[in-house]
Amino acid sequence: MNNNKSGCIFICVCFYFLKSYALTNRRLVLLHMSVFSQTFSPCGRFLAAGNNYGEIAVFSLSAALSPDATGMSQKPILTFAAHEGPVFSLISTDTHLLSAGNGEISAWSWAELTKRVSNEIVNQLSDNSLIVGGGDNNIHIMDMETGTFKSVLQGHKDYIHCLSFREREGELLSGGEDGAVRIWDARTGQTVHCIEVFKYEECTRPQFGKWIGCLTTDSDWMLCGGGPALSLWHLRSMSPTSVFSLAGCQREAVFYQDLILTVGEGPYVSHCVPGGTVKAQIPSSSPSLNTLTLNLNSNEHRVMTTAGSSDQIDVFTNFSYRAFSLSF
Amino acid sequence: MSPALFSLIDARDKFTAATINALEAGNCKPLTNVFSHLPGNETEKKSTLDQTLRAVLEGQIVKHVDVGDHLSLIYISIGGVTEGICSATTPFVLLGDVLDCLPLDQCDGIFSFVEENVSTWKSNSFYSAGKNYLLRMCNDLLRRLSKSQNTVFCGRIQLFLARLFPLSEKSGLNLQSQFNLDNITVFNKNEQESTLGQQSTEVKEDGMEVEEGEMGDEDTPAPCSIPIDYNLYRKFWTLQDYFRNPVQCYEKFSWMTFVKYSDETLAVFKSYKLDDTQASKRKLEEMQTAGGEHVYFAKFLTSEKLMDLQLSDSNFRRHILLQYLILFQYLRGQVKFKSSSCVLNDDQTSWMDDTTKVVYQLLREIPPDGDRFASMVEHILNTEENWNSWKNEGCPSFVKERPAEPKPTRPSRKRPAPEDFLGKGPDRKLLMGNDELTRLWNLNPDNMEACKSDSREFMPSLEDFFEEAIEQADPANMVEDEYKVVRNSNYGWRALRLLSRRSPHFFQPTNQQFKSLADYLENMVIKLAKELPKDIPSEEIKTGEEEDENGDNLLKESNDSPSIQSKPVTNSQMDEVAAKLGGQWRTLADHLEMKEAEIREIEADGEDVDLQAKMLLVAWQDREGPQASVESLASALRSAGFGSIANSLSQS
Repeated sequence: MNNNKSGCIFICVCFYFLKSYALTNRRLVLLHMSVFSQTFSPCGRFLAAGNNYGEIAVFSLSAALSPDATGMSQKPILTFAAHEGPVFSLISTDTHLLSAGNGEISAWSWAELTKRVSNEIVNQLSDNSLIVGGGDNNIHIMDMETGTFKSVLQGHKDYIHCLSFREREGELLSGGEDGAVRIWDARTGQTVHCIEVFKYEECTRPQFGKWIGCLTTDSDWMLCGGGPALSLWHLRSMSPTSVFSLAGCQREAVFYQDLILTVGEGPYVSHCVPGGTVKAQIPSSSPSLNTLTLNLNSNEHRVMTTAGSSDQIDVFTNFSYRAFSLSF
Repeated sequence: MSPALFSLIDARDKFTAATINALEAGNCKPLTNVFSHLPGNETEKKSTLDQTLRAVLEGQIVKHVDVGDHLSLIYISIGGVTEGICSATTPFVLLGDVLDCLPLDQCDGIFSFVEENVSTWKSNSFYSAGKNYLLRMCNDLLRRLSKSQNTVFCGRIQLFLARLFPLSEKSGLNLQSQFNLDNITVFNKNEQESTLGQQSTEVKEDGMEVEEGEMGDEDTPAPCSIPIDYNLYRKFWTLQDYFRNPVQCYEKFSWMTFVKYSDETLAVFKSYKLDDTQASKRKLEEMQTAGGEHVYFAKFLTSEKLMDLQLSDSNFRRHILLQYLILFQYLRGQVKFKSSSCVLNDDQTSWMDDTTKVVYQLLREIPPDGDRFASMVEHILNTEENWNSWKNEGCPSFVKERPAEPKPTRPSRKRPAPEDFLGKGPDRKLLMGNDELTRLWNLNPDNMEACKSDSREFMPSLEDFFEEAIEQADPANMVEDEYKVVRNSNYGWRALRLLSRRSPHFFQPTNQQFKSLADYLENMVIKLAKELPKDIPSEEIKTGEEEDENGDNLLKESNDSPSIQSKPVTNSQMDEVAAKLGGQWRTLADHLEMKEAEIREIEADGEDVDLQAKMLLVAWQDREGPQASVESLASALRSAGFGSIANSLSQS
């Protein structure tokens, strides 16, 4: 199953970028660039990133991590215009790169994208469904093979920010602007649970709002945050076990071994322990970060990459310090 | 009974037998007995015994006896030295022999013996004879040992040497503050040399497990299992070269590289904070389970794969940060052996100050006990300044020299000692029988000194002598050749003599051919004219001054510097003293060495005791002449028992 972020417009942020889209000066372009999404190729050797201009850039990780890397290795091997509006979400299947822009989802074949670099033979097909959270407050499930929509999940009162999947139970979690985290049964399409995070005193931060910006699950545990503080929930008891005191709203959080890595407002990646303490904050080059991904597909290229409101994508080989940056 | 002749062979045999007895007995009594009964003189007997002991040792070595037996033989030789029957160098020679002949594991036992007896070696009878032998022996051993494999043994030898020799022993010091430039840290600079590329091809051959999309990739190097930050790796280990040879930092380009790499490395240290609980707990468990076995690495391990682990190790970080602090102390410090081009400009100094603060901050953050460690380091580096200044002074000894005993003052005599009137005593007055002669002679009683006085310096200076010649050489003056003073042969001869005494130009080889002395002199005069300062107008003033000086020199006394004490006694001072003396002037008269006749004369002169005292003093002053100083009067007063009067006189 796949996750997808909605291609809807985050109004409070976007108008500024649309204005600068018309400028041709490259430096100014880079200055106003924001990276919204990243994903790794199935082999783990390439990274695709989507920015606010609707471009997708493909970087070769193996070149950037090799001993004889030069400045050129930190530039994309391929950049192309994917959408008219910002590319808010990128997902990689075993064969394709899926990107979501303003109201449309495009699929790009990894084989074609990388064929200039190497002879990649991709031969595995999957029968995945694609779950799309839309600006229309609904979740649509689409069959990848036929391209038709299978079902619609309704229930959210505002647009959807983030989606996550619980494989063991076959449940889907969604978080939205309305501040609710809904747990759906994927087969029946019914809401199993609805947690309104902002109603819990430990987590709520009314000064930031109630929207849920990031959501991730580890079958028994769930991390959610955004307006309310980032909190770790035990899903069986449906209660928050720890709240992380991080300034600013978190935009992405992942589980990694016994750590929680999260990014958001602020030029750093926060390492947290499930107990609730923030262990370390690793500085990065962008003033605020939108996306964080771990390359678990390939062992020798197992890096963490973060990107946000600049044209730099930071690469961390050792998760405790920034090794170098790729740039558009 | 006439003493029997000394027979070498006989003595040797007897000694050998005695030695074997001594070995069995465990002391050197048998040897002493044989020694005293043998004919011959001490030296012969001693050297024979030395030889015998060495031969016995040789026999032992050949027979591969136990180490303990060697030791007992050496112990007996020590006893022998104490008894005075063999020379002091013998135990050391024996030790040297045995260490040369035994394999290393047995040397261990011998060396323990040496260590235990360090107090014996330091005692007076052994130290001077044996220290060179011991030093050579230890150096030979060190050469045979490997620093990384026999670390403990090497350490023991070094410690032994440190205890044996005083701190200022020059052979043990790095007097020039030189760096160990051979300590190069090797790391993979070149990508092709990276050992990672030689990963076994097993991974590729597991056909089933080849990751998707990887087939057919021959250009990429064989993968290693973790991603590596080569950039940081290379910059980090390049820094070690600057620590090895700090003088590089004074060059501009190298300094810039150093600053860049250091900033990056320290930024990584700052962002990668070490975890207290994980790191320290694991280390403690490791240490306990390993049974305290500490492995010592003399050099850094620089494999790329270790970089991550090293960064997360607190001891490693402490090493690197400490290297920075030591380097900064050297760069800032006053070291006598740095060349004068080794100075830092203001920018560099301010960068160093900032970075020092950062380093200390990082040190404090490193668990466990970061604060304590940082303060200890600071304290040790401060102490290092003392050692630095000690080295700058050339490593003087720490033993305080006893100050020289002040010479005991000569008790004053009643009668003038023969030295006095022979001019050799402290008063140094030569009495010629006639006052005028005495005065003339005592102007400078020491003939040698008189000859050395400046007024007898008859050789003129170059300026004076050549002044006229220089003036004539000036073409503006237009003096004709035949009138030049350099043509005068008398003048020329004297000029040559003067030049040979005073001018370096005389000795400089020249290719010029001079047809005559006059030409040569003209040439020299021109050279001199260029050198000499042009102050010819002051010639008249100069000669005037010189005459005055001549007069002064002749009259100078041997002690020039006028101190208060050797000033002549004034009339008022004499009046004071006389008033205080009163009727006791007779006791003072004895101490002033007045003749009986004079004393009677004074007594007969008047009834007034004050007047008599005054007359005594006047008579004394007349007799002494210029030597009637406050000091001598005060010392006479003191010896007469008038200490208070003497003090008041000295203070007036």
